[in-house]
Amino acid sequence: MRPALIVIALIVAAALLGPLALHWRYDVIDWSAVRAPPFAGGHVMGTDSIGRDLLARTLVGTRVTLGVAFAAALVSLVVGVAWGAVAGWRGGRMDEAMMRVVDALYALPFMFVVILLMVVFGRSILLVFLGIGAVEWLTMARVVRGQMIALRERPFVTAAEAAGTPPAAIVVRHMLPNIAGVAIAYLLLTIPQVVMIESFLSFLGLGVQEPMTSLGILLKDGADDMDVAPHALLLPAAVLVTLLLCLTRVGERLRDRFAQ
Amino acid sequence: MFDLIRRRLFTAIPTLAVVVILSFVLMRVAPGGPFDGERPLAPETRAALMAAYGLDKPLPEQVGRYVWRLAQGDFGPSLVYRDFTVTDLIARGLPISLTLGALALMLALLLGLGAGMVAAARPGRALDRMLMLGATLLTALPSFVVGPLLALVFGLWAGWLPVSGWGDGDAPHMILPVIALALPATGAIAKLARAGLAEVLAQDHIRMARARGLGWPRILIVHALRPALVPVVSYLGPAAAGLLTGAVVIETVFALPGLGRYFVQGALNRDYPLVLGVVTLYAALIILFNLLADLAYGWLDPRARR
Repeated sequence: MRPALIVIALIVAAALLGPLALHWRYDVIDWSAVRAPPFAGGHVMGTDSIGRDLLARTLVGTRVTLGVAFAAALVSLVVGVAWGAVAGWRGGRMDEAMMRVVDALYALPFMFVVILLMVVFGRSILLVFLGIGAVEWLTMARVVRGQMIALRERPFVTAAEAAGTPPAAIVVRHMLPNIAGVAIAYLLLTIPQVVMIESFLSFLGLGVQEPMTSLGILLKDGADDMDVAPHALLLPAAVLVTLLLCLTRVGERLRDRFAQ
Repeated sequence: MFDLIRRRLFTAIPTLAVVVILSFVLMRVAPGGPFDGERPLAPETRAALMAAYGLDKPLPEQVGRYVWRLAQGDFGPSLVYRDFTVTDLIARGLPISLTLGALALMLALLLGLGAGMVAAARPGRALDRMLMLGATLLTALPSFVVGPLLALVFGLWAGWLPVSGWGDGDAPHMILPVIALALPATGAIAKLARAGLAEVLAQDHIRMARARGLGWPRILIVHALRPALVPVVSYLGPAAAGLLTGAVVIETVFALPGLGRYFVQGALNRDYPLVLGVVTLYAALIILFNLLADLAYGWLDPRARR
C-alpha cells in the first residue's frame, strides 16, 4: 500500500506544482515547434499537432481529471451517506423503498444516463462531475446502510436512545463517526471509477472541452496522432494507468482493513 | 423458474418505462435544439420544421405518441441523418455492435475462466501470482487505452492487422476491436473465477474426490467449476453494461459503423430521437442480460431458484 500511496502523492504533486515550474503553458502554441519530438526546442515531451507543450498539457490534464474525480467522489459520498444512513436508521418500509430505488438505478446503463445529461445540459466541467457524482453514490449508499443496520443493535446506540438523545444527533454524532473508515475506503475506490468515466466522456468529446484538457482528451489527441507521434499517446496512457492501479490498490487495502 | 422470469419482468418493464419517459422529458426541456445551428432559421421555417417533427405539441402528448410508436418498433425520424429513420440506423449499427460484443464476451469468458482455473489449481505459486497480477493490470486498463495501444503496436508498428473500418466483417478487421473490448472484462472474470474456485477447492467434496484418486483436471472441470461459476455469472450483468459502453469507445477508435458511433454522433449533434432510441435499446439489452444472468444463476445454484 505504501509504494502506491507514494506514487499517488508524486503524481498529485506534479500535477499541482509542475505546471508552475514549466516554461510553457498548456494552451500556448509554439509555432516554431509543431509536432516536435521529445526534447526538441525546449519541450521535454515534445508538442502536439498544433504545437502545444505535451508535458504541460499532461500535467494540467492530470490536474483536471483528478479535480473532477475528487469533486464527483465527494458528491457521491454526501448523497450516498445521507441515503444509506436514513435507510439504515429508519428500517422497515422506508428502508425497503429506498433500497428498491437503489436496485432499480443499478440496473440502468449509467454511462448512457451521464451522456444524456451531457447532451441535455451542455458540456461543462461542473456538470461532468455533478452528473458522475449523481450516479456513483449507489455503492456508497448500500455499504453505509449495511453498517448502520449493524450499528443500530449496539448497546451504545440503545444507551443514547435511553438517555433521550434526538435521533438526528444519534446518527450524526454517534453512528456516522463509526462508519467513517469504511466510507473513506469506498470514497477512495470511487475515485478511480470516476477517473475512468471522466476520461471516457472526454475521449468521446462529451466531457471536458478544449482548450481545457484532461487525460481523456489527451488520449484522444494522442490516438489521432499516433502514427507520427506515438509518445503523445503513451505519456497520458501511462499516467492514467498508473493512477488507476495505485488508487484501486490503496482503496482495496483500506476496504479490507476496515471490513474485519 | 417461470415464476422468477415473471417477477423479473414485473420490475423490468416499469424500469424501462421510467428510463424512456425520463430521458424523453429531459431532452425536451433542455435549452437549445437540433435546429439551432450557426445560422438562425427564419421563424416560419423553424415553425414548419417543429410541426413536421411534432415538436410543437404539448409535452405529455409527445411522450404518449413516442411510447405508442416505440411499442410498434418505430423509433421516429433522425433529425441529423435526414434521409434515415432511427430504426434504419439501429438496423444498420446493431448487428455490428452485437457481433463485436458477443465475440468479445466469448473471448473474455474463455481467457478469463482459463486463467482463473490455471491460477487456482496451484494457489500461491509463481504462475498464480503472475496471472493475478496480469488480471489486476487488465482491469485497470480501460478500453480507450487498450484500443489505441493495440492499434499502435499491431496495426501501425507491426503492420499485421488493419487499424480501422469493418471491411465486410472479415476476420482481420475484427481481431483488434474484439481483443481491445474483451481484455478489461477478461481481467475481472479471471479474478472472480480464481476466487470462486479457491473457495470451492477448500470444501469437503473436493477433498473426498482427491482422496478417491481423481486427477486434477477432472476435479477442476467436473466437480469444482459449476459451483465456482456463481460469482462469474453474477458479474455478467455488469459485464454486459461494460461491454456496451466499451463498444462505444472501440467503435470510435477503430472507426466501425456500429450503434455506438451513431450514438456518439447523435449526442454531439443533439439528435434527440437517435440518442433516445439508442439509450432505450441499451437499457432494454442490459435489463435482458441481467435477466439471463439471473436464470443462469438459478441453473448453477438450485438454492437461488426460490
